[in-house]
Amino acid sequence: MSQRTERRGIHVDQSDLLCKKGCGFYGYTAWQGLCSKCWREEYQRVRQQQIQDDWALAAKLQREEEAAYASSQGAQSQPQAQSTPPHPGHVSLGPFSKFEEKKTNEKTRKVTTVKKFFSPSSRTASKKEAQEGKSPSPSISRQASFDTDQVSKDFVDFLKNLQKPGREIHKQSRAFIVTMSSKKDLGADELSECVQDFYQHLADRLMGHFKGSSDSVEQVMDQVEKYIMTRLYKSVFCPETSDDEKNDLATQKRIRALHWVTIEMLCVSFDEEIPEVSDNVVNAITDIIEMDSKRVPRDKLSCITRCSKHIFSAIRITKNEPASADDFLPALIHIVLKANPPRLQSNIQYITRFCNPSRLMSGEDGYYFTNLCCAVAFIEKLDAQSLNLSPEEFERYMSGQASPRFSTSDGDLRQAGSSPDVTATNPALAQLNHNLKLLSGLSSKQESLMEAAQSLQADLIAWPETVQREVNGIVEKYPLEILSRTVSAIDANNMENDNLPPPLTPQVFAG
Amino acid sequence: MAAGGAGGNSGKTYSFKVVLLGEGCVGKTSLVLRYCENKFNDKHITTLQASFLTKKLNITGKRVNLAIWDTAGQERFHALGPIYYRDSNGAILVYDITDEDSFQKVKNWVKELRKMLGNEICLCIVGNKVDLDKDRHVSVEEAESYSESVGAKHYHTSAKLNKGIEELFLDLCKRMMETAQAEERLKGNGASQSASSRRGVQIVDDEPQATPAGGCCSSG
Ligand SMILES: Nc1nc2c(ncn2[C@@H]2O[C@H](COP(=O)(O)OP(=O)(O)OP(=O)(O)O)[C@@H](O)[C@H]2O)c(=O)[nH]1
Ligand SMILES: [Mg+2]
Ligand SMILES: [Zn+2]
Repeated sequence: MSQRTERRGIHVDQSDLLCKKGCGFYGYTAWQGLCSKCWREEYQRVRQQQIQDDWALAAKLQREEEAAYASSQGAQSQPQAQSTPPHPGHVSLGPFSKFEEKKTNEKTRKVTTVKKFFSPSSRTASKKEAQEGKSPSPSISRQASFDTDQVSKDFVDFLKNLQKPGREIHKQSRAFIVTMSSKKDLGADELSECVQDFYQHLADRLMGHFKGSSDSVEQVMDQVEKYIMTRLYKSVFCPETSDDEKNDLATQKRIRALHWVTIEMLCVSFDEEIPEVSDNVVNAITDIIEMDSKRVPRDKLSCITRCSKHIFSAIRITKNEPASADDFLPALIHIVLKANPPRLQSNIQYITRFCNPSRLMSGEDGYYFTNLCCAVAFIEKLDAQSLNLSPEEFERYMSGQASPRFSTSDGDLRQAGSSPDVTATNPALAQLNHNLKLLSGLSSKQESLMEAAQSLQADLIAWPETVQREVNGIVEKYPLEILSRTVSAIDANNMENDNLPPPLTPQVFAG
Repeated sequence: MAAGGAGGNSGKTYSFKVVLLGEGCVGKTSLVLRYCENKFNDKHITTLQASFLTKKLNITGKRVNLAIWDTAGQERFHALGPIYYRDSNGAILVYDITDEDSFQKVKNWVKELRKMLGNEICLCIVGNKVDLDKDRHVSVEEAESYSESVGAKHYHTSAKLNKGIEELFLDLCKRMMETAQAEERLKGNGASQSASSRRGVQIVDDEPQATPAGGCCSSG
């Protein structure tokens, strides 16, 4: 490291390498020519300024709104919110603080907000945003990963095309994230309420701006959801205040206990003998498992949709006709039982709470999601009747006393036990015997391996003892004589000391 | 409430969710496939699935996106009904005119829907397979008077002969638009709208007391 700087120092003007603040340390291009210390200070300052500006603007907008509200509604306005001065860190100041107020207030106020949102009075934003666009500041948050930064960048890029409204959307979204960060210990329902209120608020405003074109609004809302939820994910997915984790474990256990449920019991129209069908089944399982790795509700939904499409393909190939709901739901149940997707309840709850509602309620994704909810509900409640079994049979399967794979071929097999003739006729039992033989072979191999390991261990313990004995013998034969001698500094006669690279202070070359 | 029913007035697009309910084999799937793809019992179809279909309409200058949700009709899935029909703007309850039982099922659905969703949902009761009129087991008078008594509209259709299907869906769309517009007017007047109504799908137990729906006063 120091070597490299030195080599460069010969050709390059030293001042180019110094921190632009003139503190005397080296600067780095990655930190825009500042040293680490100055960069941190500078960045903190800019960020602080940004936050301050945000709040000032937020407060200004709020005051304007309140004023407009007061003039249109007379004495109904709330005086305490008007006079509060802007102060960073006090979250209740943002324009979205009204979420915490009574719903009825919000209702009437919203009307004026819609007009305000894209009005020229919010021009204050433009100057700072432009400067920001030039040199995007890296996030200093410890949570921020590459992903998050990429998402923010994409968000800004997307909003740039919208020009002025884009800046407003960005501002509101950022302010909202700040607001949310102070609400980490709210219950899951309240967190959801906050996010949903924000969505609706924004969607209503956008609806006015795009003159009712719901497609454009949807497009923007997708991006907003992506930006916001990528950032909020860690604090609102499976929050500690909820039962989500407990439910996840319960469902996981439940699905494990139902491992014996067959395709036939569910009346699923899959013919897994057909390679194309089993490929689709595998893909469907992969997709539903992948859902847990996504952070954005819509991305999670997409996993469910992809899973569903694979199921449809499998049914289509098997039956040679398009799948109806009666084909689809049992098949989805089967896939869920096979996949036992991680944190299933948490994921469903997360999507329910934080997904853009229009997508969830009437879109295609919403349909598949609803079916997944149905599948989970069915699995939770599943009993003998829902599988066309007698209660006794169901009990035996649940307790593991019997397996449907044996009893379906021959009802008497269970009593017959493991007599040899049965083994001959039943391929499953034959397989079982074969496996047992393999297992006993493995266990005898394991035993001999253990023996060998033990004798090796004994050898290893004995070895240092013999070595020690030999050494002792030699030491006795040739005793060591120590002559006294003066100890000198390590580098006292190191003549090449001057050639070492200097400590990290810069050298000054005269001319 | 109308799923996409919120927002501005003029050039807006309505999005409606319609669920199809009814016993197995009454012709639910046949009805939608006929309506959306004009197909009946066509084995060479390119359709991948017939459980979620959409149709774009333009009614008196207003754009409408119709999403039609097929539901699993088997008895063992009956309890899942509420998860399917939550937030829907309309329900099409289908029976087979040759099958008395399937009409009884429709009556059960009506009761359940009215209990769970009140009057916000537009109900259509549809007697399908009118091409088999000679085997009719549900009388026209009974079906129509029952429908009227529960505030539903009654239609006769044949997926096979493509009869009455366009009318059914067009009529339903118009009614859903009226409902959405009425709701908009109400909103414009500042009437309060429950916060939970715009919430998405939630898994709710059969037992009402276990409902964890979006309460506003649970402590955090
Ligand atoms: N004659 C006649 N047959 C019909 C008509 N509509 C449907 N069918 C027949 O009725 C049978 C069942 O139709 P589906 O559309 O699968 O019924 P479904 O209600 O979707 O049934 P599930 O999916 O099992 O709930 C099929 O054999 C159709 O060909 C009709 O209008 N006339
Ligand atoms: Mg069907
Ligand atoms: Zn410096």
